Amino acid sequence: MAASVCRVGSTVGRVLAKTRSPILLSLRRGQASVSYAQSLVGAPETQVSALDNGLRIASEDTGHATCTVGVWISAGSRYENEKNNGAGFFLEHMAFKGTKKHPQTALEQQVESMGAHLSAYTSREHTAFYMKTLTKDLPKAVELLSDVVQSCSLNEADIEQQRSVVLREMEEVEGNLQEVCLDLLHTAAYQGTPLGQSVLGPSSNARNLTRQDLVDYISSHYKAPRMVLAAAGGVNHDELVGMAKSHFSGLSFQYEGDAVPVLSPCRFTGSEIRMRDDALPLAHIAIAVEGASVSSPDIVPLMVANAIVGSYDLTYGGGKHLSSRLARLAVEENLCHSFQAFHSAYSDTGLMGIHFVSDKHHIDDMMHWTQNAWMNLCTTVTDSDVVRAQNALKASLIGQLNGTTPICDDIGRHILNYGRRIPLAEWSARIDAVTPRMVRDICSKYIYDKCPAMVAIGPIEQLPDYNRMRSGMYWLRF
Amino acid sequence: MFAPEVVEEISILIRVDFRSKTSRMATHMSRCRTWCRLQRFGIAAYRKYSTGGGYPNVSLSTPLPGIPKPVFASVDGQEKCETKITTLENGLKVASQNKFGQFCTVGILINSGSRHEAKYPSGIGHFLEKLAFSSTAQYGSKDEILLTLEKHGGICDCQTSRDTTMYAVSAEVKGLDTVVSLLSDAVLQPRLLDEEVEMIRMAVRFELEDLNMRPDPEPLLTEMIHAAAYRGNTVGLPRFCPAENVDKIDKAVLHSYLRNYYCPERMVLAGVGIEHEQLVDCARKHLLDVKPVWGASLATNVDLSVAQYTGGIVKMEKDMSDVSLGPTPIPELTHIMIGLESCSFLEEDFIPFAVLNMMMGGGGSFSAGGPGKGMFTRLYLNVLNRHHWMYNATSYHHSYEDSGLLCIHASADPRQVREMVEIITREFIQMGGSAGEMELERAKTQLKSMLMMNLESRPVIFEDVGRQVLSTGKRKLPHELCDLISSVTASDIKRVTTKMLRSKPAVAALGDLTELPTYEHIQAALSSKDGRLPRIYRLFR
Repeated sequence: MAASVCRVGSTVGRVLAKTRSPILLSLRRGQASVSYAQSLVGAPETQVSALDNGLRIASEDTGHATCTVGVWISAGSRYENEKNNGAGFFLEHMAFKGTKKHPQTALEQQVESMGAHLSAYTSREHTAFYMKTLTKDLPKAVELLSDVVQSCSLNEADIEQQRSVVLREMEEVEGNLQEVCLDLLHTAAYQGTPLGQSVLGPSSNARNLTRQDLVDYISSHYKAPRMVLAAAGGVNHDELVGMAKSHFSGLSFQYEGDAVPVLSPCRFTGSEIRMRDDALPLAHIAIAVEGASVSSPDIVPLMVANAIVGSYDLTYGGGKHLSSRLARLAVEENLCHSFQAFHSAYSDTGLMGIHFVSDKHHIDDMMHWTQNAWMNLCTTVTDSDVVRAQNALKASLIGQLNGTTPICDDIGRHILNYGRRIPLAEWSARIDAVTPRMVRDICSKYIYDKCPAMVAIGPIEQLPDYNRMRSGMYWLRF
Repeated sequence: MFAPEVVEEISILIRVDFRSKTSRMATHMSRCRTWCRLQRFGIAAYRKYSTGGGYPNVSLSTPLPGIPKPVFASVDGQEKCETKITTLENGLKVASQNKFGQFCTVGILINSGSRHEAKYPSGIGHFLEKLAFSSTAQYGSKDEILLTLEKHGGICDCQTSRDTTMYAVSAEVKGLDTVVSLLSDAVLQPRLLDEEVEMIRMAVRFELEDLNMRPDPEPLLTEMIHAAAYRGNTVGLPRFCPAENVDKIDKAVLHSYLRNYYCPERMVLAGVGIEHEQLVDCARKHLLDVKPVWGASLATNVDLSVAQYTGGIVKMEKDMSDVSLGPTPIPELTHIMIGLESCSFLEEDFIPFAVLNMMMGGGGSFSAGGPGKGMFTRLYLNVLNRHHWMYNATSYHHSYEDSGLLCIHASADPRQVREMVEIITREFIQMGGSAGEMELERAKTQLKSMLMMNLESRPVIFEDVGRQVLSTGKRKLPHELCDLISSVTASDIKRVTTKMLRSKPAVAALGDLTELPTYEHIQAALSSKDGRLPRIYRLFR
């Protein structure tokens, strides 16, 4: 049965992961060494188990007096179609409006009296519901979370009321030009495919989604093998498994009619979207190429490459002593107000790019130097650049894990993306294995002479034509 | 680690060129072997990744081979460790809190801020914040500092507030010596070159412009309420450099300030994540008997004035009709902040005031942010849920070593300013009534959990250790604070509120102020029984 394959698939995956494939020995023949002295990692181990219905439970005991516990689900706007785009986001709003056991006021009062914070987020491929609370309240938190995820009440009256809230939030997001820019980038790059849809969905859907749509969404996507119960803080793994057994055993793992949703590949289209508005003071521009998927081994050199390009903001006091070459140029020539290099990775594709904000007289120069930075990555990356980027990347990976909520989020997303939690020692080893030649080759593979996707909003008269920018993706020097 | 025949198999696979006709036999052999491998290890083992041979082509879903199994730390209740404090011979205090991890946060906190600038042009603190970690005696430029830190995966930052300046570095534990030497250099021996000062002038001008341009006026209002509450003294002095002083501040002015305030007795070297003895050794090596670049500190001219709460009103008429930076327009709002004197953080009444602040809570009218963010606090239940035309009602508590300020910020359409002020004054008076049992318990639990959640992160622990040792000389551990919070009763709240209501109000107002009631009326409302504004008779509208 397809459903049982889905369940078994994850177990098989785990078995394969444990086996060491001999082809992987080719690492020894590579240039960089991965020998690594046994070291005290300084972080506790993440323990993973699974229930019979396929729900995975992962936790890290850091000994804090507070903890974060949550449910991470492999569901998002990518799984939606045109008719129900925005259902996941709407559901996130409805989740805290009451369940069958706890009506809205009771739920809110319980959470407030515990001094806990209940939050949720939806992205293109993941949805998460999590709660920050004191460690002694963990059992209550797991019970409330299981209620929120499994038996959301979805009152008709509440749905009507939330429509205006969702519309108002869409309006507020429209004001955040950086978000709009990066969202439109997906619309351009993945046009015609589910990844091109925005997480919030169109406003017409916010007005027309019915209770049945939301119920269908839950029943087709909230399945145990696609979910992870993650926790970090002063959490004992065995106790957590016990709590999960009592509250989450009822999670279904079978699909109606055995219709297992399968993600279709999303093609990348080099394209552009321009929204010219001369009344805005600053222009937001993003340019991206297709990058590596989330579990691809190429992603580590690409992350190092992005750390070489770095980021910059006018309020940094460093001035012309920043390590990134593009940042130094931005200061000296006053090219932009801020820029950042980013890489959004999805399960089978990714978007690697640079987003910058500048005023209307410097767009042309900034775009030229941005593409120049990319060409440098493909051709003239040096040892010192790579060493700096490696250090910065390692520091940022470790520094981000500061507090129980980032650690819990990390655990949830890792299990969904990779099937396991990648320990910091392994990240360190993978990053250390990156050499300048590797960065050049892999960047050339993804960036050189590829059609970019580009979005520009604001006073963008100076932005060159797409064909000019396409020619900026290669050099005639060799 | 693999059997010899397996190793041989791989070497054949890699050497064979599948396209070559001469090696058809070898191809066939290796295909057989590959098929056997496929049977043994499954599909994942056979999949070739697109990077080709030579580079690591291990998907992130498979553990990387060749790494020895790491030894994980086990938690053994280290969090309950005491904070250890030592005082060196020159008066510098060294405080540290142990916490497991590869990274540590170390920094120097100095008892100097905008409140000490009475005899100097205002804005020195702002400049020092931006000039931090520029060129010093040992490091020729900020670039060199960042390069040294990058070797240890470190970052550095400086933050000034009204009463404290904090230089902090987060780096790997093994780089402790370099970090302390860098801190000592940055604090005691900065070069303050003219070109750096000029660059910082530009950054300060940009920041002032940015403050005026952004739609959220909270930093501006905080400045205004402090200026109103502590007219012309200590914490009432501006924290951001006023535009007219940007050109007046130069190296000489900075040196004369630093000579008086950057002395070892006013400093604390705090660290989180390191052993105390190690930190003390580094402090002795780098911070004892170091001559600062501005000559020996004589500390003759130190401003020891106590903050005098005066109360008063500060108004700023500003056109807020078009503050949105994006295409969606933001409605025109008038912002007011009304504050009363609370108490310093050294007094016992500080904890009841913190619980009171949590009980008032508040936020934006659009959404509290989800369950747990204060949707049952008084400002939500009594104000925002009943009067939907109010955009914002939030309560803040600022506390210093000799005084404090509890204030409520509210914003609404300019035509409803009078009603808004009345609602806020009524809330203040109702604070003096008896607090509900459940409400009080909820506020106490939320305060405790917020405290514990914030103290998860290492930089916050560092700041907590540093500030407490700087002001009191010792540190109250989190569980002690939780106990103090649990012991607050409703009568404590009533007592502190009555004391607070006796002080003169401080009012800050920003935006279109035509409907704003006069200061005397607001004062009358806050001393009346029900908090209503006096009736005014408008003959001419």
